[in-house]
Amino acid sequence: MSSRADILGRIRAGLGRDDANAVAGRSALDAYLAAKPQGPKPKVDGDLLARFREKSEQLSSTVDAVATPQEVPQAVARYLSAQQLPAQAVCWPELASLPWQQAGIAVEARAANSSDLLGITGCYCALAETGTLVLCSSPNTPSAASLLPETHIAIVPAGRIVSGMEEAWQLIRRETGELPRAVNFISGPSRTGDIEQTIVLGAHGPYRVHIVIVNTEK
Amino acid sequence: MHFKARAGQKLADVILQDNLKKAKSKFVDRRATAILDLDDFEATRDSATALRDRVLNDLDLWLEKFEQQAAKSGASVLWARDGAEICWLVIDIAHRHGVKKAIKSKSMLSEEAGLNQALETAGIQPVETDLGEYILQISDNEPPSHIIAPVFHKSKEEVSALFARTHHLPAKDDIQALTREAREVLRPHFLSAEMGISGGNFLIAETGSVALVTNEGNGRMVTTLPKVHVVITGIEKVIPTLEDLATLMRLLPRSATGQSISNYFSLLTGAKQAAESDGPEHLYFILVDNGRADLVGGEFAEMLRCIRCGACMNHCPVYQAVGGHAYGWVYPGPMGAVLTPLFTGMQNALDLPQAATLCNQCGVVCPVKIPLPQLLLKLRAKQVEAHLRPFGERLGLRAWAWLALHPALYALATRIGVRYLLWLARDGKRNDRIRVLGVAPEWTLGRDFPAPEGKTFRELYAARKETA
Ligand code: SF4
Repeated sequence: MSSRADILGRIRAGLGRDDANAVAGRSALDAYLAAKPQGPKPKVDGDLLARFREKSEQLSSTVDAVATPQEVPQAVARYLSAQQLPAQAVCWPELASLPWQQAGIAVEARAANSSDLLGITGCYCALAETGTLVLCSSPNTPSAASLLPETHIAIVPAGRIVSGMEEAWQLIRRETGELPRAVNFISGPSRTGDIEQTIVLGAHGPYRVHIVIVNTEK
Repeated sequence: MHFKARAGQKLADVILQDNLKKAKSKFVDRRATAILDLDDFEATRDSATALRDRVLNDLDLWLEKFEQQAAKSGASVLWARDGAEICWLVIDIAHRHGVKKAIKSKSMLSEEAGLNQALETAGIQPVETDLGEYILQISDNEPPSHIIAPVFHKSKEEVSALFARTHHLPAKDDIQALTREAREVLRPHFLSAEMGISGGNFLIAETGSVALVTNEGNGRMVTTLPKVHVVITGIEKVIPTLEDLATLMRLLPRSATGQSISNYFSLLTGAKQAAESDGPEHLYFILVDNGRADLVGGEFAEMLRCIRCGACMNHCPVYQAVGGHAYGWVYPGPMGAVLTPLFTGMQNALDLPQAATLCNQCGVVCPVKIPLPQLLLKLRAKQVEAHLRPFGERLGLRAWAWLALHPALYALATRIGVRYLLWLARDGKRNDRIRVLGVAPEWTLGRDFPAPEGKTFRELYAARKETA
């Protein structure tokens, strides 16, 4: 007997499965999948942007805001000089057209590698409940740019801030239909507490996460 | 060696005791704060419990659904009955793709299977990348002592000495520097490995995806950089929808480390698309039984709800006193005291169900409301039914049962017993304490036995009746 048949067989025996209750069970399962009931959610009301900002900062990210996408490179340049970081970056192909050069930053739109110190990405959406960035992988939005470099800068359009994870799933279902290969939820710089339960920032991922919110309605 | 003997050693280990004391309250305090920002923590627990039960009550159907959806997304789904089969499957996949090195993000199933040793024997180099797991690997493959903080038992001085010895670099004395050193040592491994092996926190039936939670980012590396990704998870990890994932993700990090959300949380579906610059070309799921299937539908089925958060051990007075290694297998603390006998056989973990005070701290904090103390009591009852208790205990209980059926003799025996206990207490400075209990001297090694008031209940009852 295959392992699959053996394992499923023993589960079925434990549950008293027969043909009749399997039919009923399958239709209950499909009904549940169609209904997608939500559990209790904490109240996230009022200003999503303010809440996102506050929560992000609590997670040790830093946050800046500009009015238009064109102003993003300037904001990035300000951050880099304040942090005394080199003005050299790898970015998502979809961000290649921003005026990086005018802001004095040498930006290459390609896959990130381990010698890149700064990765610039956008985001699919962001969660106000926890201050979390949601990134979906695709050829134009590769995962490694937010992972390999020591500094990660993420551009967040204010209109893409939703209240919680449920709303993010709904957005993905509505806009893209199929799930991308990877949906990455990023909440601040990487960290570990493995040695003596003492939190240290910068484990295997970035040491710093800087968020530039683009608030076109401002 | 049994729990009792191991616990004795651990209690006498001065360094361990010091380390346990240092780590102790951090998780507890952080969790207490973190659950406050859920407006209704109890309702969220109820909802999580219900959704876990929903899956477990139809586990065969949900697994079929998951398998279907995963296959649709391009992943391969394999099944393993036990640890040996896990090892066999992983090695087979590795050989098929010409893998020389496998980077690993924490997987408890890999611990259950002893996968690292098997890979090494097959000529494949396994590299643990979770900082804690890495420390254990270079410490001679030491087993973890906590399911989410594997080196709970080690001090930074011990880690520092270990790093200096293994990396041939000057010893660092602060935790930040140690963490950076591990990052720098492990980075080349991430970039050169052909295979990534991870556990899975949840499998989502709706989409055929795996959800992976990490803080360090190693989980993302392991599932993004190598060309092959193998997910090893227990069959009980399935949940229905992405909405259910949202509910459980409000509980898991809060219960585990007291975080409102883990740093990284990835939902992975299928292999990489043609034009993508990263992501694995091949995605495999190994769904593991190893003792789980037989629990489905039975009296211990509630244990399968477990989401491996570790809150029960963080709050357990026994765990806090002896640490995780005393439990002798992969899973420590209250959940381990239940799982180990169920997974490895009752006769192999005889004193684990006794390794609890039944104070119910674990039951109170468990995010999916597993009644751990009740399950431990059930296991104790099973041991008695299976005649697995020691001869002395069985004889004692038999004698007591016989005596209880003979009221006159029982009255006499308890009268003598009470007088005997009083006599034992006579030479203390306070005569309400017994320093050494004659019939069970072990019991009073670390504590006094309270002396009885002087008369038995029956004597008092009779006396009252006379005066009334
Ligand atoms: S038994 Fe409950 S508290 Fe313990 S690890 Fe499992 S889910 Fe967490």
